Amino acid sequence: MKTPPCLLFATLLFWGWQSGMLLVGALAGLVLEAAWVFKWRWDLEDVDFNRIWSFCFLVLVALSGYIFSTNDEGGGLSGMVHGRTVHNATISSTVTYTTVMRSLPLIFFPFIVAQIYNVRSSVPLTAVSLVLRWRRRRGERSLAGHYLDVSYPYFIVCVFAAGIHPNQATHTYFWGQCVLILWALWMLRARRFGLKHWAIAFAAVVALGFLGQFGISQAERMVQNFNAQWMARLFGPKTDAAQSVTAIGQIGRLKLSPRIVIRLEPRKVGVVPGYLREASYRTYSSRNQTWFAGGSLNDFSSVHQEPDNITWVLLPRADADAVSIACYLNGRSQDGDHEGVLPLPTGCSRLENLPAETSVIALQTNKMGTVLATGSGLMIFDARYGRSATIDSPPDITSTNNDLTVITNEIPALNQVIAEMNLTATNDAENLFAVERFFASKFSYSTWQGPAKRATNASPVTRFLLNSRSGHCEYFATATVLLLRQLGIPARYAVGYSVHETSGSGYVVRERDAHAWCLAWNRATRTWDDFDTTPGSWMAIEGRQSAFADWLSDARSWIGFQIAKLRWRQAHLRQYILWTLSPVLAVLVYYIIFQRRTKARPSKSNAAMEAAVIWPGHDSAFYRLEKRLAAGELPRPPGEPLADWLERALAEPALASLRRPLQELLQLHYRYRFDPNGLNDREQEILVQKVDGVLATLSQK
Amino acid sequence: MTFLYKPIYWSYRNSSGLWHWATRRFTLPGLCVAGGWLVAGAVGVDIENTVTYQSFALLFAFLVFSFSCSFFFSAKFSATRLLPRFGTAGQPLPYQVVVKNLTAQTQAGLTLLDDLADPRPPFDEWLAFQLAESRRIRPFRVSQRRERNPFRRATLKPAEIPPLPAKGEGTVSLELVPLRRGILKFAGVTVARPDPLGLFRSFRKVPAPQTVLILPKRYPLPPIALPGQMKYQEGGVALAANVGRSEEFVALRDYRHGDPLRHIHWRSWAKTGKPIVKEFEDEFFVRHALVLDTFTDEPHSELLEEAVSVAASFACTVLTQESLLDLLFVGNQSYCFTAGRGLGQADQMLEILASVQNCADKKFDALEHLVLRHLSVVSGCICVLQRWDDARRKFVDKLKSLGVPVMVLVIVRPGEGIAGAGGTLVKAEGTLHVLEIGKIGEELSKLK
Repeated sequence: MKTPPCLLFATLLFWGWQSGMLLVGALAGLVLEAAWVFKWRWDLEDVDFNRIWSFCFLVLVALSGYIFSTNDEGGGLSGMVHGRTVHNATISSTVTYTTVMRSLPLIFFPFIVAQIYNVRSSVPLTAVSLVLRWRRRRGERSLAGHYLDVSYPYFIVCVFAAGIHPNQATHTYFWGQCVLILWALWMLRARRFGLKHWAIAFAAVVALGFLGQFGISQAERMVQNFNAQWMARLFGPKTDAAQSVTAIGQIGRLKLSPRIVIRLEPRKVGVVPGYLREASYRTYSSRNQTWFAGGSLNDFSSVHQEPDNITWVLLPRADADAVSIACYLNGRSQDGDHEGVLPLPTGCSRLENLPAETSVIALQTNKMGTVLATGSGLMIFDARYGRSATIDSPPDITSTNNDLTVITNEIPALNQVIAEMNLTATNDAENLFAVERFFASKFSYSTWQGPAKRATNASPVTRFLLNSRSGHCEYFATATVLLLRQLGIPARYAVGYSVHETSGSGYVVRERDAHAWCLAWNRATRTWDDFDTTPGSWMAIEGRQSAFADWLSDARSWIGFQIAKLRWRQAHLRQYILWTLSPVLAVLVYYIIFQRRTKARPSKSNAAMEAAVIWPGHDSAFYRLEKRLAAGELPRPPGEPLADWLERALAEPALASLRRPLQELLQLHYRYRFDPNGLNDREQEILVQKVDGVLATLSQK
Repeated sequence: MTFLYKPIYWSYRNSSGLWHWATRRFTLPGLCVAGGWLVAGAVGVDIENTVTYQSFALLFAFLVFSFSCSFFFSAKFSATRLLPRFGTAGQPLPYQVVVKNLTAQTQAGLTLLDDLADPRPPFDEWLAFQLAESRRIRPFRVSQRRERNPFRRATLKPAEIPPLPAKGEGTVSLELVPLRRGILKFAGVTVARPDPLGLFRSFRKVPAPQTVLILPKRYPLPPIALPGQMKYQEGGVALAANVGRSEEFVALRDYRHGDPLRHIHWRSWAKTGKPIVKEFEDEFFVRHALVLDTFTDEPHSELLEEAVSVAASFACTVLTQESLLDLLFVGNQSYCFTAGRGLGQADQMLEILASVQNCADKKFDALEHLVLRHLSVVSGCICVLQRWDDARRKFVDKLKSLGVPVMVLVIVRPGEGIAGAGGTLVKAEGTLHVLEIGKIGEELSKLK
């Protein structure tokens, strides 16, 4: 079924207009319609259509990859289940597919051109399906001879592609498609009915369709009023800058995963921060064992990027030490974007190589030293840090909830411990040393809390300080903060990760390396210093796991990390997708254009092989006769049967007398060529003799 | 296990029924509109970034309008189908339908669709086929050769009905291509009228049940010198009256291997250059057994169909020669049909072959016993087998040990070949021919 003249031109023009490529559409349409004027045609074979289809398909894949890799919006499957992100992800992921869909008429343009300018104005069915190609190769003959005219499918593709653009509440697309469909259906209308009936029917359908599309747009507006943001609350565990619920007081074993969550690459070999802090907190509630950042100190203020768009200054100074950090943002903002606090070294002053265009939507800090980032799910950046001032606010000792506040019910236990420590020093440094030594000598690390130790009315921290003296890092950090405050040293509770495990030239931080420690105020330097009283054995205890399980986990984490890099465009690989596919496309184009020519020009070895093929009767003497007559005025065109040619030759008056011997010779020759039994020696001899005789007669004439 | 297949069967029945309904009800433009409507629905979900939802609405309006128009067609017709007696699988079968307009208005722009009986098999038959396919085909092999539409009996295209005057009639020429041998059943005739937009058809159905026998597909065979010699036909008195050899000279014919030298007609040899023998009326004549292997548990086995086709090819060719042919196979019971030289015609043999069914409840021994019972009267055996296993190899070896010339034809699927140590020997002797599906015609043309 062929499309009527100019329909494809009008369709491509409409597509170009709607897609903002009017000139391209017009040119493409002209190329197709020129076939009505120019009568020359290609003689493409089935295999050529296979190659052209493969080429178009590869272009489709390459274009999809390229657009996906340069798509600022990102997208992905996880975005499909996160509240507001449903909306955003729909928009962002559709950027890729809408661009590809809009380009379909151009992508498959070579295919339709090949059909229209081919001798047979249809394409083999096997060209468009790899499965059918395989079956054809396996000898299914039923697939041979099935051809398809793709004019109307191409028309449909163009009409739909014209509709792939943002909805601007206009009806140009609707009326345009009405005209095109009317044009197409006019040629295919039922002849039983007159023009009047057909026109009325079409008008009724258009009116119905217009009402329908109006109804759909209205219904869509109603659906948009439903807020799906509640879904975002269901997903995305994250470190909360406002509070930290500890596992203090919980019974049983605290088990954390060996999953790698952060990767570090120090700029100088061996120079790596011992801790990566995510957040710090001031106020402890023993009722629910939770630390709170507290009040206005948790208010965030935005950090703006430098003019180079990749540097974010937290503190105005230039530190020498730097470390490259790769981490995930597991939380979700109210807008549904990825959000999370960045694990940073203490004293971090600036973040570098963190592109504002692709990675970060917003970067905020609060006075508790927390850096909150909103942007892509994976952040890779360089953090510069030094041992001087931090972004944390100085100790607040004026308000009721300050950096020296100790919960009343913990005070007896703290005083008892201080008494046990026999502190005589008056300066903070010595007190800190004594506290550190006290915890190191009297306490042990354990991830297990048994029920027997719980049979008192004392708080978990009190029991830890006085009875069990064993616990995990949250016990140590909480107890240390309270103890320091009781000693008059401003202190805060910090959470983050400990960095200790090397991996290649860098370091990896696992989920089980999550750590809590204390920030102690250094009055001399007026800085918050990391103060960790958890026994160093905690790393070994947390790391107890089989090497094989670690290896499996690492492999999975590495694959996940590489996929995340690809997904969040932190790897260069995606940039090279097009360059990788370009040579493939080039080779395919070369194959399509030049392969037939190379086929037509047989190589010397093939020619030699063909020459070596001996068919029955190849040495027939009749060929000498044919050569002799053909050299005269009776050339024999290729493909003309010998019998026809001879009949034509015998029409010459000069050969009339040779009619009978020539016909006998032809019969002998045919027997020699095609009779399975062939000629015996005697008959071959007769053939040669008779040919010689006729040649002699001819030469006499 | 069977219950797992129930939903699949249900799905198959409904999807094939839906597809049958759609392809008959929708015209080609209508199918494009319906397909486009589905695509527009999928693409146009995001109505912020695309406006193809407008196409969705418009195409839906087309479908609703066309469907609504199908309720307004009240003409009446009668129809008579003029069918030939036989058709051949794979060969176009032209026939005619006479349609009479029973209304007082001229009816134009109509289409005729012939209705074949529902080809969908009952669950048990469908399940047997599926289980056989799953045994044969490795899972997740997309490109592996599968039998498509195994239950489809014929392909049939709609035909335009010429304008029918009031109370007048017209003749419509149709052509169907039978895909399988056996009885092809017609249910009725449908007169279709498209809607004004030419997308959807409204139907008037006329019952016209009828059947036609579809003969097996046949391959051209070269003249074959069949193995064997004349044998005395004990008890064949009735036959001998027509075909035997008595002292009375009947005719001359070409020499066959095994003919006594004293029957050579030397004058004719001298004249024609090839040995000619005299034929006498007596109870001695050449009689071949055509042994058909029907043992498979696949109800629609491709191998069986091809074996029947090969047997039919031999039946047609051999019966044109001067010999008798016994067709031996096992179905519900053991069958032996004799044809040739006045006893029966080729078309009768083909009718029998058209109705051959697979035998799933008996072993190959049943065929072996049948053949051995007839062995005393046959000159040679043509065995058409579906596989080459121990049972069949022993059967052929037994025939050879009894001195019966044998020609063995084994049907195999593409690329499968045959295995077995005994096969090599038989093949070396030139009596075993492996016929690969898809190349059977080529292989048969090489027979001598």
